[in-house]
Amino acid sequence: MGAAATELRGELRGLVAQHVPPEYLGAFTDDPADLETAQEFCRILAERGLLCPAWPEEYGGRGASVWEQTAVREEMWAAHEPRGAQYMGVNWVGPTIMRHGTGEQRRRHLPPIARGEVIWCQGFSEPDAGSDLASLRTAARRDGGGWLVSGQKVWTSYATMAQWCFLLARTSRGERRQQGLTIFLVPMDDPAVEVRPLGCLMGPHHLNEVFFDDLRVTEADVLGTVDQGWKVVQEVLAFERVGIARYARCEHLLQAAPEVLGDAWERLPGELRVRWARMLVHCRRARLLAYRVVALQDEGRVRPGDAAAYRIAVTRLDQESAEVLMDIAASVPREGEAARRFRAEVADHWRYSHASTVASGSIDVQRILLARALLGAS
Amino acid sequence: MNIDLSPEAAEYGREALRALEAAGGDRLVQRAEEAPWSREKVLAPVLREIGAWELAPREDADDLEAAAALCRSAGYWAVAYPVAERLARPAGLDADGLLVVDDTAPEAAVAGLGLRWAAVTADGRRSDAVARPPDAPPRTSAFVTGLDLRPIDEDGARDVALGLVLPCWTLLGMLDRAIDLTRAHVLVRRQFGKPLAEQQGVQFQLTDAEVERSGVEMLARYTLWSVQAGLPEALDDALALRLAAVEAAEAVFRTAHLLHGAVGFCDETALSWVSRYSQPLRRLPWGPSATRDRLTRQIGRRGLTGLFRDTEVTA
Repeated sequence: MGAAATELRGELRGLVAQHVPPEYLGAFTDDPADLETAQEFCRILAERGLLCPAWPEEYGGRGASVWEQTAVREEMWAAHEPRGAQYMGVNWVGPTIMRHGTGEQRRRHLPPIARGEVIWCQGFSEPDAGSDLASLRTAARRDGGGWLVSGQKVWTSYATMAQWCFLLARTSRGERRQQGLTIFLVPMDDPAVEVRPLGCLMGPHHLNEVFFDDLRVTEADVLGTVDQGWKVVQEVLAFERVGIARYARCEHLLQAAPEVLGDAWERLPGELRVRWARMLVHCRRARLLAYRVVALQDEGRVRPGDAAAYRIAVTRLDQESAEVLMDIAASVPREGEAARRFRAEVADHWRYSHASTVASGSIDVQRILLARALLGAS
Repeated sequence: MNIDLSPEAAEYGREALRALEAAGGDRLVQRAEEAPWSREKVLAPVLREIGAWELAPREDADDLEAAAALCRSAGYWAVAYPVAERLARPAGLDADGLLVVDDTAPEAAVAGLGLRWAAVTADGRRSDAVARPPDAPPRTSAFVTGLDLRPIDEDGARDVALGLVLPCWTLLGMLDRAIDLTRAHVLVRRQFGKPLAEQQGVQFQLTDAEVERSGVEMLARYTLWSVQAGLPEALDDALALRLAAVEAAEAVFRTAHLLHGAVGFCDETALSWVSRYSQPLRRLPWGPSATRDRLTRQIGRRGLTGLFRDTEVTA
């Protein structure tokens, strides 16, 4: 990664230690202070040019390498993502607007993301369109110079706190279902948008239903070309698939375990310590598979099969390591702040790991993508 | 580390692949089984021709990468000859190659070769090693035989990592081949009116095997860098690679055999040969369970280096 990335890690760890409370486990808990912690931390990162370091300077970045951006992703995910929901704006909303947005859209949306002021949500999944995204039904019908959008999205992360939605809707019917889809950038405070939170395993304030009831949008809200949104969506998902460095949190917790257990580590069942060692190998494996994708990005290349292989490996790691860590955590003494903190982190990791084989394209979708690369299968 | 081998090493690996194919390709292992005494005679000139024994992997980083690429190519053709072990030959000892051995049951796939061997145990004890006469035909032994050891010194700690890593590159070449063979098979084999490759159940099994293979590929590259750099944790890394490689081999060959069906057991298919001759690499010096155990003891409570421990991984 080089000296710049290593220096960046040190800076980020210092900022986390200084500005993120030790008990922080993400922005989506019952405690509203956690969301405020995340929002404030984003502003702190932005002031130092660390929120979107790989963005061009004209959009609020500092032109850092993709490796520095990778270091940011790793450090943030290991620390329970103190950027909260804003990682999405940084990782894929902003870059997609840079590539496909009009001048006006760039001027309007990119500076607030770079300043750490805005939360975006992703309006993709629907009750009957999960992995099969192209079957979505939310429709934008022509009305005068614009459209009226109606439909329902579901499992929408952060919708209660988002100011903007990256919305995919059907604008026409083509020969293939992937045709006739359009991306709209829409405000969440419009009265035609209703958000209903969903209770979920991962904790409160995370997943939601979003209803659109004749939301009025115009040409100015369209990202890219009308009816050509599917190609952009593929790009978004490619960004998203390497966007979360899940292996970093796994490695962080696995490496912390012996220290937290102290002398009790040697009294763990030998079989459990063997599983722990094996998970560390899998952490390294997943990280190197991620680096293969990043190295290609650095050269401006994409190999969908490589990204899919990484996602398969890292999501399996996420879940297997969560089980191993839960087993270890059961032996952690109940006394002491470090032990309490470790158990809470592990429990949070275990809850979130259930989503890892589903979020950002399910593991089976990744297998389909890898199969295409290997076999040319459709 | 770089994600890929250097262009020169990669080209050398391709050159070796072509040379071994020209010398017989899949027939090499078959001829070795039919006429075990011919191995040295058939393979030594090919390897000499491509400059294998001029490589100095302990002294030169470029040569180490080239050696790794050569091992991978030898694995691809399941060459029944200790290429990796010869490339790992120790410095300062009068030996043609180095064998990492289990201290309680030293064995290696070196039967019937007139070569002088040094052996090293995981804790660095080195010995002269003499291969016993084979007590079983290669068809069942895959040239594995017992070793008689005569202690030399306890200075081999630095030999172990290299002696473990290069055979993993050979095994990686075998995994490459198993995936290639299986991919080709499912594209042409028709069942239920269509190629197997169109069955999603088949696709998913193959993709899971490919994830295992590609993970080993990345770890092999990383560990080569660790050895090149002389990192103090190189043995940790070598054991981690070995664990990933032997576990991946189990998954890849299980899938390859399943998707080939009965033809995969038959000697008309290369898979049958590659699978058989992968066994010594997967079982010696330690199989999956013993490798897991050794890695766990080796890293103790410190774990592996990475994002949150000591040496920073740089790519």
